[in-house]
Amino acid sequence: MPPHRPPTATALLLALPLLAGSPVFSQQADTGAAAAWRATSRLGYGPSAATAPAAQAGARAWALQQLDAAYAASQRAPAIPAELARFNQPVNQIAADFHAEREARRLARQASASAAPAAMPGNADNFSREMQQSAAAWRLMACSDPAVEQPLLARMTEFWFNHLNVFVGKGPVRPFVGHYAVNVIRANALGKFEDMLLASARHPAMLFYLDQAQSNVRGLNENYARELMELHTLGVNAGYTQNDVRELARILTGWTVGLQQGEAFRFAPRLHDTGDKVLLGRSFSADGLREGEEAIRMLARHPATAQRIALRLATTFVTDQPPRVLTDRLAATFKRTQGDIRAVMRTLIESPEFWAADNTLFKTPLDFACSALTAGGGARERREIQLTLGFLAQAGQPMHGWQTPDGYKTDAATWLAPEALTRRADYAMALGARMDDPLYLQTFLSAASRERITRETPALRAGLTLASPDFMRK
Amino acid sequence: MDSTEISRRRFLLASGTAVAAIHAPRVWAQAAPAGTRPAGPGRLVVVFLRGAYDGLSALVPYADADYYSLRPNIAIAAPDGSAQTALRLDNTFGLHPALAPLLPLWQQGVLGFVPAAGLPVPNRSHFDAQYQMEIAQSGKTSAAPGWLNKVAAFNGSATSAIGVGEANPAILAGTATVRLIPRGQAAQRTGVLANDTTRQALLDLYAGNDKISEAFRQGAGSRMQSAQELSTEQKAADGRRMAATQDNTARVDAALPGTQAQNAQMLAASNGAADPVGLQLDAQHLGTLMRNDRQLRIGFLSAGGWDTHANQGHATGQLAGRLGNLATGLAQLRRDFSETGDVIVVMSEFGRTAAENGSRGTDHGFGNAMWLIGNRINGGRWHGQWTGLARGNLNDNRDLPAHHDYRAVLAQLLRGSFALPDSALATVLPGVSWDTRLDGLLRKA
Repeated sequence: MPPHRPPTATALLLALPLLAGSPVFSQQADTGAAAAWRATSRLGYGPSAATAPAAQAGARAWALQQLDAAYAASQRAPAIPAELARFNQPVNQIAADFHAEREARRLARQASASAAPAAMPGNADNFSREMQQSAAAWRLMACSDPAVEQPLLARMTEFWFNHLNVFVGKGPVRPFVGHYAVNVIRANALGKFEDMLLASARHPAMLFYLDQAQSNVRGLNENYARELMELHTLGVNAGYTQNDVRELARILTGWTVGLQQGEAFRFAPRLHDTGDKVLLGRSFSADGLREGEEAIRMLARHPATAQRIALRLATTFVTDQPPRVLTDRLAATFKRTQGDIRAVMRTLIESPEFWAADNTLFKTPLDFACSALTAGGGARERREIQLTLGFLAQAGQPMHGWQTPDGYKTDAATWLAPEALTRRADYAMALGARMDDPLYLQTFLSAASRERITRETPALRAGLTLASPDFMRK
Repeated sequence: MDSTEISRRRFLLASGTAVAAIHAPRVWAQAAPAGTRPAGPGRLVVVFLRGAYDGLSALVPYADADYYSLRPNIAIAAPDGSAQTALRLDNTFGLHPALAPLLPLWQQGVLGFVPAAGLPVPNRSHFDAQYQMEIAQSGKTSAAPGWLNKVAAFNGSATSAIGVGEANPAILAGTATVRLIPRGQAAQRTGVLANDTTRQALLDLYAGNDKISEAFRQGAGSRMQSAQELSTEQKAADGRRMAATQDNTARVDAALPGTQAQNAQMLAASNGAADPVGLQLDAQHLGTLMRNDRQLRIGFLSAGGWDTHANQGHATGQLAGRLGNLATGLAQLRRDFSETGDVIVVMSEFGRTAAENGSRGTDHGFGNAMWLIGNRINGGRWHGQWTGLARGNLNDNRDLPAHHDYRAVLAQLLRGSFALPDSALATVLPGVSWDTRLDGLLRKA
C-alpha cells in the first residue's frame, strides 16, 4: 500500500465551522446521513438499500474500503449478462464482425440496386448498433446495481472514460466503444495512469475516433497528437507549441488498425516516419513503435499532467472550484506514485475538502439517472434502460455520445438549468411509477421534503423522492 | 507566456495591416459612421458552428489557383453552372453547392461575409478558442460571463435571451436570466407539469429560497409557456401540411392507379412540406418563441460535427451534408428574422488549414469566414481584407490569417443594428478596437 498523508489538524479545524453551518445536518464530518450521502453519491451513485447502513455507520471507513474493493473488482472480469456479452468479446472478433457487417451492407446495397432481396447472415448488418446498445445497457446496470458492478469502479470507469473520451456516433468507433470501456478504462481505472493512456492509444476506438489510424509518413493527421497533449495529458496552457504537435504526430505515424489483417492494433513500419524528431525538447531517433510508447509515457509523467488530472478529479469528486491546496496535494501524490490512481483517490478521500459541507456538487444527468435507478434496486428491465437512455440523450449527456474529445463537464454551471430541472422531474416520475417507495432514502431527505412527500398519495411518493431538490445534490 | 508572445508576433507579421487595428487605441469614443444608427432595436441570432467548420469549402476562393494546388482532393470545383461546382458569387468567391438555399439571400443583398476573421491571437484548441469566443476575451481561462449574457443584462429585468439545444452554453451563462429549451420535438412537451396534482406537488417541494428551487420554479413557468406555444404552432403547421397533402393527393389519385398513387402520396407529403428536423426545427422553435415574446431579442443556436480531420468530402460527402443542413436551418431562420433590425451571424472558433492533410481532411487553422444575414447587412458582397492563399500570405505558412478580430465584426452589429449603447459595448467586448475597415458592413438606416 502506498504511504499517504493524513489531513492536518488545522485543515480539519477549518472545515468544522463550515459543517456547523450545514442546513440539514450537524453531525461530525464523516459520520451520519450527510456524510453517507456524500460518500455514496460521489464514490458511487448514491445509497442503495444494501449500502446505506454501512456508509451511515462510518462514511470515511466505508469510503476507504470502497477503494480496495474497487481495485480488486477492476482486476476481475466484469459481470456482463450473457445476452449483452458480445460487446466484450475479444477485440479481434469485434473487428472481424464489424468487417462482416460492412460486407453485408455492401452486398445489400448491390442487391437493392439489382432489385433482388438480400439474404442476410443472421443480423450481421446490425452488428454495430447491437454493440452500441449492449454497451450502453451494461453501463446503466453497472452504475445502478452493486450486484453487477462495484459502485466506485463504475464511478471511476465513468470518470476515465470521460477523460479519454471516444464518441459512439462515429461509424468505425461504434462497435468498439463497449470493449474500450471495459478493457482500456475499467481494467486500469484504479491502476497506473500511463498504462491506461497507452492502452487507449492502441485501441481501435481511439485510433479511429481521433483519426490516428489514418495518419502516416506521406500525410500527417494532427488530430490525435494534439488532443493527446491538450486533453489527455498536459493541458492547453502547458507550453507546448504547434511544432510539438507535428513532432508528436510524426512520432506516432504507423500506429493504426489492421481490420483487414484481423488485428485491432497494428504498427505499420512502412507508414512510420523514420526521421529524427524533437518533442518538448527531447530527441527521438528512429525506433519504430517504441518512439510512440516512450513519448506517451513521457507525457503521462509530465508534472503538468499531474496538475491537470488532479484538477479534474477535484472538480468531479469535491467541488466545482476546488482550492489549490487540494489539487496540489492530489498532484503531489500523482507524481510521487508515478500516476497510481488508487493512491491519488486515497489522498482525495482523506482530504478534509472531500468532507466539507460547503464543497457542494450538483448531479449531472448521468449521476441523477444512475442514482435514481439505484434507488429502485438497479436497472434490469429493457423498458427502464430505454427510458433512461432517452432521458440522458435529451438532457444533453447521451451515453458514450459526447462528440468532442474534451468529455462532459461536471459542474453546476453546465447542468443546473431551469427547464432542464423540470425534465428531471419527468424522468423521476416515470421511473418512480415503476418502483416501490424507497423508504430507506427518507433519512437522507430534509424534514421539509419528507413532510411534503408524505402528504401526497403513495403512488406519487417514489417519484417525488427522486424528483426532490435533495436528490439533485451529491 | 512566451509561446503566446511569439505566435502573436508571428501573426502580426503575417497579417500586415491588421497590426493597425490591433494596436490602435480603444475608440468607442469615436462616433458611429453617419447614418448607421438603428431606427429601432433589432434582434440578434448567433449560430455557433462548434468544431471549426472549413470556411474554404463554404466560401470557395475559386479564382485562386493556390486553392486547387493546396487541396488536390477536397477542393470545390470552380463554377461551371453544374450542380457539382461552386455557385458563383463574384469574381473571387463561390458558395459550396450544398449552400444553394442561401444563394437567393446573396442575390437579394441580405447575405454578406467577412472572409478572414478570427481570434486576436491564434489558438488551435477547440475548447479554449470556443470559450474565448463565448466570453469575448482572450487569455482568460477562469469563469467569466458569456458575452450574449452581458448583452441580455442590458435589457433590464425582462428575460431577453433564449438558447436552443445546449444544456447551458457558456456564451449565455451569467447574471442575466436566460431561457434554455432542448433540441427537437422535446421542446414541445409539457411532461409531468401537465398534471395539476403532480405539478403542485413538485412546486411544493421546490418552494424554498435556494438556488435549485428558484431555478425549478422559473423552469416550470418557462417550460409550460414554451411547450404550449410550440405545440400550438406545430398543430397549425400539421393542419396546413395535411390540407396541402390532401390537395396534392386528390390530383395525383386521378392520374395514377393503386400503389403508385400511394407512393405519390408519400412523395407529395415529403416533398411538399417535410417535417422539419434537426437545426431547421430548432430554428423554427426559436423563431416562434421570439415572435411571441418581443422582449426576447437575443437567440442562440449551435451545430456540431465540423471537425473534419479525415475524408471531409468535396461537392458531396460528410461536410457537404452538414452544410446542407445548416443552409436549411439558416433559410428557416431568415423567414422568422427578416425585420429591419434583425441580424443572424454565423461563427466558428477558428478555420482549418489551407492545405488538405494526409487523410483528405483538414487540421486546425486560424482565420475563418463569418456570415451575416439581415436587411441591414450590406449583403451581396463581402467585407474586409482578403489576401488569398499564396504561401507568404498565410499565417504560419498554413492557415488563413484573421485580418479582422471577430469582436470587431460583432461590434459593428451590436452598435449598428442592435442599438447597444457604446458604454455597454466596452463591457460586452472588452478591449476590442473599432475596425473602420468594416464600416461598410451595415447599410445606412
